[in-house]
Amino acid sequence: MKGSLIRSLMTVASLFAFSAPILAHHGSRVSYDLSKQLTMKGVVTEYQYQNPHIYIMYDVKDESGNVVHWGAETNSPVVQARFGWDRHTLKPGDEITVTVNPAKVGAARGYLAKLVTADGKVTELGRPEN
Amino acid sequence: MNYALGESSSDERGLKMRSGLFGLVLALVATLFFMPTASAQTGQQTAAAKAAAAKTQPFDPHDLSGVWWRRGKSGSTLSRNDVPPMTPWAQAKYSANKPGIGRADRVVPLGNDPMMACDPVGFPRISFYDAYPSEIIQVPSRVLVFFDYFYAHRTIWTDGRELPKDPDPTWYGVSVGKWEGDTLVVETVGFNDRTWIDDDGHPHSEDMRVEERYRRVDHDTIELNMTIIDPKAYTKPWVGETKTWKLDPKMELREDVCVPSDEAKYKEEMRVPAATPAGK
Repeated sequence: MKGSLIRSLMTVASLFAFSAPILAHHGSRVSYDLSKQLTMKGVVTEYQYQNPHIYIMYDVKDESGNVVHWGAETNSPVVQARFGWDRHTLKPGDEITVTVNPAKVGAARGYLAKLVTADGKVTELGRPEN
Repeated sequence: MNYALGESSSDERGLKMRSGLFGLVLALVATLFFMPTASAQTGQQTAAAKAAAAKTQPFDPHDLSGVWWRRGKSGSTLSRNDVPPMTPWAQAKYSANKPGIGRADRVVPLGNDPMMACDPVGFPRISFYDAYPSEIIQVPSRVLVFFDYFYAHRTIWTDGRELPKDPDPTWYGVSVGKWEGDTLVVETVGFNDRTWIDDDGHPHSEDMRVEERYRRVDHDTIELNMTIIDPKAYTKPWVGETKTWKLDPKMELREDVCVPSDEAKYKEEMRVPAATPAGK
């Protein structure tokens, strides 16, 4: 069931020469397939603006109405604050369009590559490594 | 002219408000605003001019104060090439250390990197992160280095004291420094053996000694050469590549604290699920 849902959500899953993001610590980048991207619409249930990494929990509904609880992580608050993020960037209930590098093992987790909020603001997170 | 405009719009803002100069700057900004192509070209030229200016801008070679970004081609390690052979003692520890980041042939999804439990990163590992700045503050008796990453700091004593003969083991060591010409030479001892030298999981013993040589080569640049001497772990000194620190006068340090309870929540909600096959 989850497999078919994920396939239906895969609007973009192309081979990218994706620049290695900063994700500097706490060993999770290895869990994600940086050669793939997956884009989906969801509703924020939790916005964790904290160490070691900021992450967003959000619900994604498929055509049948099934809800899958997703999580997407990015850099630490210290790094993202330098790119304009703060504790108000998201809140529960916000509608978002999320592009992630999905977990290699097929879990509903990803590394955040792009975030589009309801007001149309786009945040690209594929920055070249410093 | 481009260089002058760049300086006026950044470092010297508010200092040179003489009407003539201010009017000239306003006129230039207005001109550039309506000339996008020229403006883009000027931006490139300004960056180049700034780099060139750093070569001629006056500086005190004995003053390392400022906020700096660390740069090095090997990223978060001393050097990726020329790592000296490990002793059997160190090799066993290296095999047991499972990094979560770093070399592709070493990294595993759920490793045992001590910092994944918010253990202190320790020195010298704290020195290598290029996504986080550090700040040097010099006072007469010491050089203080503050690290954005993990909200850590070191004290380098420059009051002429000797290194302690039998120091208690610590995470960041005990450091003394002295100037040899225009090079600040820092010796550090007194480590516990619980930290990794780098993201790759290179171990060290309590007997590790670290030598750093800092030299401010121009207004915007410090070059750092680091050597690790630890005969219990490495069969010869590990001589690192030359690291470059770049000045960023506008940068401010922030609070990057590793909080064990936040780390535990992150592990439960993100790190472990991301490595767990769906349906398990």
